[in-house]
Amino acid sequence: MENINFTYEEGKSKAGDVTVYALSTCAFCKKALKFLRENSISFRYVYVDELDYESREELKARLRDKYRESTGFPFLVIDDKTVIVGFNEENYKRHLVK
Amino acid sequence: MKKFEDAKLFVTMVASQQGWELNRDQEHLEILIEGFAKNYNRYGYYSCPCRAASGKKDEDRDIVCPCRYCRPDQEEYGHCFCGLYLTKEYFATGEEPASIPERRKV
Repeated sequence: MENINFTYEEGKSKAGDVTVYALSTCAFCKKALKFLRENSISFRYVYVDELDYESREELKARLRDKYRESTGFPFLVIDDKTVIVGFNEENYKRHLVK
Repeated sequence: MKKFEDAKLFVTMVASQQGWELNRDQEHLEILIEGFAKNYNRYGYYSCPCRAASGKKDEDRDIVCPCRYCRPDQEEYGHCFCGLYLTKEYFATGEEPASIPERRKV
């Protein structure tokens, strides 16, 4: 995952190192990114569907192997250990809004 | 080349033929329709916009819309994985579809 070009967005609130693996075509992914922006949370993200085939498949396999979660999207990781698959506003609030 | 209107017609036709309702949240709906057009134009088929397609039709056959998981998800949650196609019963509740667990084994 070292070779992935993430987009960084700076917010006023730091909820840990937040990484979002998203799809550019997915409504729940867009809602998740909107939530982070509206709550001014710093994060980085990548649109997995815009990677080339090999990178995309490798990333999916690595997410699955590393976090032991099914690779649904949005796939949000906090501090490299807490994983939230899918977008649920209450769950996001609980983990990300202090 | 499929445009937004083509993809909109596609999902409207699918919903009509299957007796489903589309999500009433227009922003949600438009993101998905744009996603369908994007997927068609890069892969050649309407693959599910909420899943990472491989771009190889043989591998993506189960996630070409309406996907193989749509009915089981509707039976369990009232709507498909994308929150696009709602059963009439679920639609009538006025509830907003939320993310549901991925049924596809990947």
